[in-house]
Amino acid sequence: MSRTTPLLRLAAAVAVASLGAIGSAHSQEPIKLGFAGALSGPASFVGTEIKRGAEIAIDEINAKGGVKGRKLVLISRDDEHNPVKTVAQYRELVERERVVGMVGASNSASMLAVAPIVNDTLKVPVICPATDATEITENDAKKQGRENYVFRVGMYGTGQANFMVDTMVKRFGHQKVGLLNWTGGWGVTGRGELQRRLKEHGLTPVADETFDNADTDMTPQIIKLKNAGAESILNYALVRENTFVVKTKEKLSDNTPYVSAWGIAGPAFWKAAGTSAEGVLTSTTVTIDGPQSPERMVFINEYRKRHNEDMSAAVFAVGAYDAVYLFKAAMERDGVEPNQIRAGLENIPEFKGLVKQFKRPVFTRDRHNAVTEEDMIMTRWTNGKLLEVKFDSKGPFVEIDATTRKYIDKATMKLM
Amino acid sequence: MWGVHAWLMTLAVAALAAMPIVTGGTYYAYLGIIVCIYSIVAIGLNILTGYAGQFSLGHAAFMAMGAYTSAILTKALVAIPFFAQTGLHIWLGIVCGTMVAALSGVILAVPALRVRGPYLAMVTIAFGWVIWKILQEWVSVTGGDLGISSIPKPQIGALRLETQAFYYVVLALFLATLALQQRLIGSQFGMRIRAVKHSEIAVASVGIDVYRLKVIVFVISAAFAGFGGTLFAHQQNYISPDNFQFFSSVFFLLAVLFGGAGTMLGPVIGAGVLILLPEMLHDFDKYRLIVYACLILITLYYLPKGVMGLVLRPGKQRSAPDQPAPRSADAIAALPAITGAELQIENISRAFGGLVALSGVSFGVAGGSIHALIGPNGAGKTTLINIVSGTYEADNGCIRIDGTETGIDSMHAAARQGIVRTFQTLKLFGDMSVIEHVIIGMARRSRSGLWDAFINSRRARAEAVQQLREARELLRLLGIAHLEQVPATALAYGHRRLVEIARALAVRPRILLLDEPAAGLVAEEIRALAEVIRKLKNIGMTILLVEHHMELVLSVSDRITVLDHGAVIADGSPSDIRRDERVIAAYLGPSHAAA
Amino acid sequence: MYFFLQIALSGIATGAIYGLIAVGYSLTFMTTKALNFALGMWVMLGGMLTYSLNVQYGIHPLIVLPVVTVALFLLGLVAERFSVYPFLRAGSDVWVMSTLAVGFLLIDLAEIIWGRNPTPVPPFLGKEPVYFGPVSILPQQLLIIAAACVTFIGLDFFYRRTLLGKAFRAVAHSGEVSSLMGINTRRVEAMSYAVAAALAGIAGFLVVPLTLAEPQLGTVLGLKAFAIAIIAGLAAPRGILVCGLFYGAFEGLVSGYLYTGIRDILGFTIMILALYLRPEGIFGRQQVERA
Repeated sequence: MSRTTPLLRLAAAVAVASLGAIGSAHSQEPIKLGFAGALSGPASFVGTEIKRGAEIAIDEINAKGGVKGRKLVLISRDDEHNPVKTVAQYRELVERERVVGMVGASNSASMLAVAPIVNDTLKVPVICPATDATEITENDAKKQGRENYVFRVGMYGTGQANFMVDTMVKRFGHQKVGLLNWTGGWGVTGRGELQRRLKEHGLTPVADETFDNADTDMTPQIIKLKNAGAESILNYALVRENTFVVKTKEKLSDNTPYVSAWGIAGPAFWKAAGTSAEGVLTSTTVTIDGPQSPERMVFINEYRKRHNEDMSAAVFAVGAYDAVYLFKAAMERDGVEPNQIRAGLENIPEFKGLVKQFKRPVFTRDRHNAVTEEDMIMTRWTNGKLLEVKFDSKGPFVEIDATTRKYIDKATMKLM
Repeated sequence: MWGVHAWLMTLAVAALAAMPIVTGGTYYAYLGIIVCIYSIVAIGLNILTGYAGQFSLGHAAFMAMGAYTSAILTKALVAIPFFAQTGLHIWLGIVCGTMVAALSGVILAVPALRVRGPYLAMVTIAFGWVIWKILQEWVSVTGGDLGISSIPKPQIGALRLETQAFYYVVLALFLATLALQQRLIGSQFGMRIRAVKHSEIAVASVGIDVYRLKVIVFVISAAFAGFGGTLFAHQQNYISPDNFQFFSSVFFLLAVLFGGAGTMLGPVIGAGVLILLPEMLHDFDKYRLIVYACLILITLYYLPKGVMGLVLRPGKQRSAPDQPAPRSADAIAALPAITGAELQIENISRAFGGLVALSGVSFGVAGGSIHALIGPNGAGKTTLINIVSGTYEADNGCIRIDGTETGIDSMHAAARQGIVRTFQTLKLFGDMSVIEHVIIGMARRSRSGLWDAFINSRRARAEAVQQLREARELLRLLGIAHLEQVPATALAYGHRRLVEIARALAVRPRILLLDEPAAGLVAEEIRALAEVIRKLKNIGMTILLVEHHMELVLSVSDRITVLDHGAVIADGSPSDIRRDERVIAAYLGPSHAAA
Repeated sequence: MYFFLQIALSGIATGAIYGLIAVGYSLTFMTTKALNFALGMWVMLGGMLTYSLNVQYGIHPLIVLPVVTVALFLLGLVAERFSVYPFLRAGSDVWVMSTLAVGFLLIDLAEIIWGRNPTPVPPFLGKEPVYFGPVSILPQQLLIIAAACVTFIGLDFFYRRTLLGKAFRAVAHSGEVSSLMGINTRRVEAMSYAVAAALAGIAGFLVVPLTLAEPQLGTVLGLKAFAIAIIAGLAAPRGILVCGLFYGAFEGLVSGYLYTGIRDILGFTIMILALYLRPEGIFGRQQVERA
């Protein structure tokens, strides 16, 4: 495909030869994993959670002797939420630091910029705990049948929109669905996905509203949705915008059920919105509230001990933790070279992760999204806790504690 | 000296060319490409901000225009086998992207350049914001927030350019851009651009349409940014609105200021340092904005000329030589005979708010005469000069040249009709040299334009030689030929006055308005000034002289008009005026009139 | 009709915020022909200080207000000395960048001190909406509209009745003449920046219960306020307030009847056109440049 000049080929040959020469010495060197994401600026909470989650996993693994007797290290870079920098840092980490795997990035634009380079040039496996744009894993390499190096343990766009719409339409029986999305960031994409899924159900949104970064008062939008008779409102946005939405809803005494994508699936939302957030639904992959598995409790406590605070976005930290363990599993199965790891990831038969215990292959050659629609959960903000919404014959309910079930009123999302 | 300079440049280019081979891999080549591309955009901004002095905080938007145009176009064309084989779609995309950016530059510049300072900054911010919003909202075309992926990679013929190879292409294009900047700024056109930064009014006074000039500069600048954007799109294969946010615009302005605004290499050094520095220091991410902010403040505070200000030795500053060159009597050859026009001022009135500055002023200035306009402070003299020279418009009344009404509505229009002025408060072009001031004065007669500047045409070179000769003659006439290379800021006050007059004369006015030319001059300089004024009369020029220095006025004037409180109180020969009681009263108070 | 009234009223409440911030730009522009480009970050600082004092230390808002005002006034003096004065003296336009740099500095410091997560500040007058017929409005919003009205009247009083205000006007008219008249021009210029910073602090104090306390609080608000100040004319502070209210209502109506996504595109395009037609702003008077 690509032609290289003889000179470059020579340089490559020299590089390979010199690597081979010192290869044996390398076997006791640590195995390097990389991360390039926003560690500064407004989106830094995403990058910080990924970094922290991965670090906890790596320290655990190293404490138990590492991978094949070698320690793991994480080398992280701040890309300032800037795709140009992400690309540079991916190249640097792979070519100069010789990392064998990457733990994604913190924004979809960065991952979309990186994906073609990863598949065409760098050829190092990437597992994304965040970044939900569908095309990140459904990329050119996959479409052309080449080897795809990009994997994902987080939400993916199409799946999440499907899950949100399906849950409200089928399980809650709402036929009049309104949309209220952020005009910036992923809100635009999310809105498109929601519209598509509604159409697949033969529905059109009864009102299709948007708001902006700067909006602190959503009065026009909420009234329009209310007047249109929306039975539930679906949303893509982040914590601050959604805080203004729920505050406005409270001001206008509006009880229409409000369902948001995973942008508010962390304690930051309750901290910002307080009791105004009561009853808001959020789709996500992980909640660390309510009854938890013992493995999760270990992780939650370790995080708290290290950073003296709770996770602001558990999904990313937990996802990054799982990503590192997936790398470990692949390396132990198939070897520590990047292409071996990539092949290994596609062949892990089952995996006991914190996001979920996978009783099936986590990834296959055609499916690089670990979390499918069936793995997503709907959660309800309940008195400061993000509790999973479960269903039985009497309808949707949440478990306040191990013994108390509270059923949810489908029309208002209030507890009965 | 020049030899060392050329050597250094050759060495630098050789080092840049060898870089990817020495370092291996794609990381440094990639960084090299990004530095080159951002430098191209920063060079465009430097022409606008550094040289022409117009701030823009929206340049990322022009970069976006180039990038998106090329991305969308090439993605559509690559499906056609002809393009896929020849690679022509890439070059077509680059050309179209650059043109669309230039076009959007026109659309913004036309309203934006009506305003200055914070207003201009806001308009450019707003434009950047609007473009950014459109990129996000127009999902069907721009892909919204997720942008456009799978943008065709650059190729020459059927050969795909991978990172290292593309590095050489971008490096060549970057060097070409740098050369283009050098040509442009070194040309006569470039002199005008640089002059705008220092005094728009003075540029207008020699007959240049400043607004049009600024629009052209803005469009050039936008085209550079768009060009950089197209390269960016093909390098990244993926673009999204994230790349073109407000902070990107701030980044470019910072690069220019940090490297050295108004220097050739400043933007390059700025872009290079600001991209490479964070790559090298990985551990200051938490304090990134603080570091940036401190960098900005320190640069602005201690390095007004940026990093380049440290490199360019201040010793190069040319100071005035001690020995004045002898005044040349035959230098009048620089000014061929002129038929001075007759100026008729009819019933001019002008008020500012409630304050009446002029009410019904009428008088005539005979062609080829020296006519003085005098009066106490606040009499309305400067207002009148401002109206005649097109700085303000009169509320009513009219001005005739040789009997025909002029309809002058701007300074450059006045200059084009042959009315040129000097300024009471000097308006020189900062640190530009004396000879450059004079050459700018010749702009109206210059036939070589922007295109000549870019290709350095034979016409432009011939004209430059001719203008230089003429300008030197003019300086000899005024007795400041020995100062030709001295920056205006380094001149003595009296010499600055003469530079103003030289600049005005370079236009070859038919009517010269001198606004208090003797202010601040010592006696000997005033005598020399009187001599110059008489010489100008001898070649036929009409001169309207506003002056307080009575000795000068009485010695050179053919006729004198006296203004007081916005009205003509006397008009006559110097000897008449000397005896006029109302004049004496106006100047010295009524008690003296009787005496 | 309910719909129209409700969104217009909400819009006006938002507009009052813009107007309050925007007035600050005009104060310094009138005295120095320069301005604090990053005024929004100063609003943020006022909001964050309010959060600290009111929420973290439980101090009553009536005590918080003067503390915030004085703190920002003093910080404003310091910032003026380092980021504006040196460049004004040199007669260059780079204060655009230097004030922006101070703004970045404030954001980063705020992130380090307070963290990045948005946190709420309880409204001073409770969160139960006030009803006018069916139309509801939060008491805090009413407070801001009231503050805008007070400022509108107070500005007139300030410029015409107080010594400082008269000095501001004199310097605005002509720096040279006023220094001849014995006004310390330098001090007046510095004071104008300090007053602008203090006003921004008050705006932050009032706004933070409606928004959230976070380092990004003022960025967009400051920018929109600047746009409004430009549309109205930097030399017309009362016009700026009026313009702010109208712009807020305009935003609400565009969101309500058209589509939020095009609101800023429309708003900023109108701004560019308005400047083309009236370069000195709608309420600004044409400046006469002395040649």
